[in-house]
Amino acid sequence: MDVLLNDDEELLRDQARAFLIKESPTSLVREVEAGSKDYDAALWKKAAELGWLGITFPELYGGTPAPFSDLGLLFEEMGRGMAPIPIHPTLVAALTINEIGSAQQKESLLPAVIGGYKMLSWAWFEHGGDIDLASVQLAAKVEGDCLRLSGNKLFVDGFQQADQCLVVCRSQSGSTGNEGITLVLVDTDSEGLSHSRLPTLAGDIQDELCFDDVAVPLGNVIGQLHEGGEAAVAMFERAVILNCAMMVGASHKAIEMTFEYAKEREAFGQPIGSFQAIQHMCANMVTWVDGATLLTHEALWKLSQGLPASKEISTAKAFCNERCPAALREGNQIHAGIAQIKEYDLQLWYRRVAAWSMRMGTSIQHRRIVAREIDIVPK
Amino acid sequence: MDFGYSEDNERFRQQIKDFLKANVSREFRAEVREMQGKGMGPLAKELILKIGEKGWIGMSWPEEYGGRNADRIDQYIFEEELVRARVPLNIGNFIEQAPAIMSAGSEAQKKYFIPRLVRGEVTFALGYTEPSGGTDLASLKTRAVEDGDEFVINGQKTFTSGAESASHIYLMARTDPDSPKHDGISIFLVPIDTPGITIRPLWTLAGGRTNEVFFDEVRIPKTAILGEKNQGWYIGSKALNLGRAGAMRYYTYVSLFEETLYFARSNPLGQQLMADEIARDKMAELYCEAQVARLFTLRSLSMIRRGINPPYEISSEKVWGPEFLVKSTEVVSQILGPYHQLWEGSELAPHRGSFPKRYVSAMVSTFGHGSTQVMRDAIARRGLGLPRGAV
Repeated sequence: MDVLLNDDEELLRDQARAFLIKESPTSLVREVEAGSKDYDAALWKKAAELGWLGITFPELYGGTPAPFSDLGLLFEEMGRGMAPIPIHPTLVAALTINEIGSAQQKESLLPAVIGGYKMLSWAWFEHGGDIDLASVQLAAKVEGDCLRLSGNKLFVDGFQQADQCLVVCRSQSGSTGNEGITLVLVDTDSEGLSHSRLPTLAGDIQDELCFDDVAVPLGNVIGQLHEGGEAAVAMFERAVILNCAMMVGASHKAIEMTFEYAKEREAFGQPIGSFQAIQHMCANMVTWVDGATLLTHEALWKLSQGLPASKEISTAKAFCNERCPAALREGNQIHAGIAQIKEYDLQLWYRRVAAWSMRMGTSIQHRRIVAREIDIVPK
Repeated sequence: MDFGYSEDNERFRQQIKDFLKANVSREFRAEVREMQGKGMGPLAKELILKIGEKGWIGMSWPEEYGGRNADRIDQYIFEEELVRARVPLNIGNFIEQAPAIMSAGSEAQKKYFIPRLVRGEVTFALGYTEPSGGTDLASLKTRAVEDGDEFVINGQKTFTSGAESASHIYLMARTDPDSPKHDGISIFLVPIDTPGITIRPLWTLAGGRTNEVFFDEVRIPKTAILGEKNQGWYIGSKALNLGRAGAMRYYTYVSLFEETLYFARSNPLGQQLMADEIARDKMAELYCEAQVARLFTLRSLSMIRRGINPPYEISSEKVWGPEFLVKSTEVVSQILGPYHQLWEGSELAPHRGSFPKRYVSAMVSTFGHGSTQVMRDAIARRGLGLPRGAV
């Protein structure tokens, strides 16, 4: 028991942070946000060269075996540096392929992902934004050696640049909940698959997908046909905790900016940070973000150990969703006027933390999972 | 990062649980209720001595002072299980003075006090707060004047909890009225039965007891001073910081929630109330926040174990924990509604009527041992480096 980072973890964090300060300045973040592409190709290449796309993957495929928590720490830095690369959607899909894919699928997909040559996406959510697998209704019918997909997916990250998208679908009509679920890797340029961009607060690119009888070879099914429920939940949970890591990383940066601002900005002849009203807001901000960080780390650690972590993941997400944006709102209040000005950088983090808190399950939805996990839901 | 307990830790936890199961009897609980506000009964004294014999009090201290150099996490586990079993022995308070005595005490003091603290033979009441100031501790007025080989103490302390059963008072008094206020203070380890000390009870809203303590020409030998003269402020504030870390505190804040959770799962009324999804949402929210309280404590312990005196993290515990407790009384009372107001004596009262008492006693947590406002000052200034005001 030692909940602080160990030396190796600190080194990983420090190196990632230093790299992103240099390679992902806010000027690049702004440039990508203003452009039509969702990522910076040069940064993606450098991330691959550093081996970041292979952390936790087997050496056999060019990866670096490491605990899942290392990936979490890297994502904290991605959030802090707002790195404009599709590492979240690509690795969420790749981690699932690594977990349940066949040796042949892994051999053909993972080296390309880890090397930075193949981008992936994942499509889970549908209309209603529910995070319960019961909400997955995208129909997949087996016909000969194909699955034929019909329906819609929403809030799909990184679809436009991805080569393939790991789609969660209901392959047995009439099945409910976790039953009859299949995960299938779909080429993003498949016939019958159309997409439209959703304009978002964070300025990232999310799409709505429309599947109109899209034929996908059965060989593209990842894991067992009809039995992907458990893997779909695991994919969702990893996506959630990596989203939390990004939120806490970005939040730490934004509150640190605020503390520095409070030390320098003067009013009534003294730094505003000397006023107790401001000090107490700052004390709350660091307390909330530290709490969010510790909850996230505990969940990451549990996943690293291969322990059940549903409760910890939803606890972290429910807390992050509320407290991280709250901390940044206090940061805006301390900055006051300048916080709303586009050319001032604080808003870059604020919009992202806010948008991330709205995705992959609301605090209400995650508390529903917590209530189930702490066994207070009447039978 | 490592959020797990080792097999040794788990074995130790089981040992504590078994011990408490075997030694915390119905008679003991009855005595605790009976003796409330009257000091420690014979069964409580016996239990403390038994725990002392096991070597669990201050088990992480060095061997030469009666500890066992044990893992700080084992000490945490011991404290957690003790509070979880609702054993109201305030062992946290005994331990609180130990870091100061170990770091500032004379060899004679260390040899006398530490082993006796460990065995539960010495217990301290904290003589800090005075009627004219609590949070602004450094403005204290109680005087200690040198007279030959002695100090003569005159003044008054208040909110001196546990004085009715303590063997000693851990007294802060002014030894130099002419220095700046932080620099003229010393700490004394004073036997509570020294002539000239008078204890008067103050009864609290929750049915508990605290005290006023009066010092009238109290003479103590010079050897009763802890550390150097006029250094008391610095010795005390370090100990106060370390004393706030640990399961005793964390668990005191979350035990109400944990017991309510147990009630919600296992009691028919609790289950009925949990049919409401909003009530479940509130309970889940409290669960999340309780985990933050736990992790803040484990963070402080992780730092202390690495030899770091946490600059602000313990203050974060002391803000989050008490405010969580107050919030949980509010939430739980709004879930239980009229059942929450029932005292012991009604068959309808959940948890033997302990809820109303806990509702009113929760307030103490946000000002006892330093108000949450002062804790926030410390987080902002010591933790974040924000400047002091020019006032």
